[in-house]
Amino acid sequence: MTSATVSMDLMPVWISLQVSALTVVCLLIIGMPVAWWLAHTHSRLKIPIEAVTALPLVLPPTVLGFYLLLFLGPNGPAGQLWISLTGSPLAFSFSGLIIASCVYSLPFVVQPLQAAFETMDKRSIEAAWTLGASRFKTFHLIIIPQIRRGLLTAIVLGFAHTLGEFGVVLMVGGNIPGETQVISIAIYEMVEILDYESAHKLSVGLLLFSFVVLFLVYGVNRQWHRQRLA
Amino acid sequence: MNTLYIEAKLKRDDFELNTKINLPAQGVTVILGPSGSGKTTLLRCLAGLEHPQQGIIKKDQSVWLDTRTKTFVPPQKRNVGVVFQDYALFEHMNVQANVGFGLDRLQAQSKVSEWLAKLKIDNLAHRYPHQLSGGQRQRVALARALITEPELLLLDEPFSALDTHLRQQLREQLFEVISYLKQPVLMVTHDLNEARYLADHIGVMINGVVQRLDSTAKIFDDPCSLEVARVLGWRNFLPVTSIQSHSIISAWGSIALEEEPSIDTDWLAIRPEHIRINSQQAGIEAELIRVIEMDGYRELQCRLQDGTAIYLQRPWNELTPLAGSRLQLELPEQHIRLLEEGRTNLTYQTEMEKSAEQKSKTLVAHKIHKQISQTA
Repeated sequence: MTSATVSMDLMPVWISLQVSALTVVCLLIIGMPVAWWLAHTHSRLKIPIEAVTALPLVLPPTVLGFYLLLFLGPNGPAGQLWISLTGSPLAFSFSGLIIASCVYSLPFVVQPLQAAFETMDKRSIEAAWTLGASRFKTFHLIIIPQIRRGLLTAIVLGFAHTLGEFGVVLMVGGNIPGETQVISIAIYEMVEILDYESAHKLSVGLLLFSFVVLFLVYGVNRQWHRQRLA
Repeated sequence: MNTLYIEAKLKRDDFELNTKINLPAQGVTVILGPSGSGKTTLLRCLAGLEHPQQGIIKKDQSVWLDTRTKTFVPPQKRNVGVVFQDYALFEHMNVQANVGFGLDRLQAQSKVSEWLAKLKIDNLAHRYPHQLSGGQRQRVALARALITEPELLLLDEPFSALDTHLRQQLREQLFEVISYLKQPVLMVTHDLNEARYLADHIGVMINGVVQRLDSTAKIFDDPCSLEVARVLGWRNFLPVTSIQSHSIISAWGSIALEEEPSIDTDWLAIRPEHIRINSQQAGIEAELIRVIEMDGYRELQCRLQDGTAIYLQRPWNELTPLAGSRLQLELPEQHIRLLEEGRTNLTYQTEMEKSAEQKSKTLVAHKIHKQISQTA
């Protein structure tokens, strides 16, 4: 096996990791305020918004992918805006893949964060304010430590779920090697062309990686839980 | 001159805060009231954690809130120390970090040690809140609030998170700490004994309104209105039907007073320990229903002719009549307090409105008095 084929083999892995990491970062930026709002609002909009954020959990990825394709495609509103801004289309591109992944994995980040914000001791925030702490100081010294378990769960679930996505990626990202061909799609293609050996390599790798990550997360979570109870 | 002026209206679905007070510049002021009367909301307004729909809050020369000019100083900038109801300690930080939270890192270390020593919790510096007893948590909360040298200290029901048997002891400890503070302290509680023990001044709050604010001695001596008296633990209220110059006449009997009672008098009140049983002279007739042994005294539950309940206290070592006896009660005039019906829906008025109304009220009262005495 030459070095060129190795890097071609591993390209889907690299793309998958990039997509997952970037999706998690985007989702934390979007998800934090949404989860905070959902945890604290008394607005009538709470229930509809909650339902919308949970939709990706129940919709078949093909349905989600289909509408995302229409939305991001060259005739869709987001697609047109993107073309007018950058000159290139959004569908079947890396950026389009990130946007689709964000929608697809949204509930996996928002829900653990919302639960963490809901169970957090709100008076400790007020106590911090009366002690002169700015909103930023309060956020990173009082809020983050209290929601760290929820935060870790959100990051891991968001990452893992994005890593394992298939249907939405196929609909929106297509199968462009080196651009949008992620692990799950590469495996699918290898099986289709009966290249079982390569399919095995990637599948076992993904399996082990996922197991190790989840194992570590559950371990850390348990440790934190014990610390709190000690 | 150190002053704190609060005027606040805040309306929620099921509750309305509507009050105006001038907080005494020094000492401990306790806002006493039943739960749900708005004490905590008032405290939160002061800390800047609640934004009244209308109001003014002024501390010395600085304006913390003025809804007319849309002034609102956030809690971070008010320099108010708050001890929350269950202390709201930072559970993920040890005692040292909790106490030092409000300080800059540079000044923290030595000052934290100083305050830990002051409150006798220096041996707990490295413990976490969940490893502390209720009393220790209270001290950590106090140290954390006081270390920033606040201009005002607020205490929200500081004993409610504790077991009853601990309260007495902790009350003394808290008294030791707060009675030496230079800055004013405002505490809210529903517990009469806490208020009596700690307060220099007491404000009675009912349904979102501070009905009366006065020195502890004065307010306990004469509550002035029925609802304030109830909150302060008074129990003997005799209804007043009519006033004829110097006499109060009612279904339970009558009493002649040397001092002419005000025409606003609706109730006559007296403390149980001040009522005498008089076998010689004719007094107010009562029937003894039950004798209850208390700590160090006996309580005599009686009923007047019209059915009004009245309570007496007698020393434990004195002979008491048997249940069922008919008694003649004497109510010494110097211990009788004349009360107005409460004005539950009283709303605050500006100083000008108030003085104007007072003038007209005394004028009317004067006229009616005159008319009564002329016809009599």
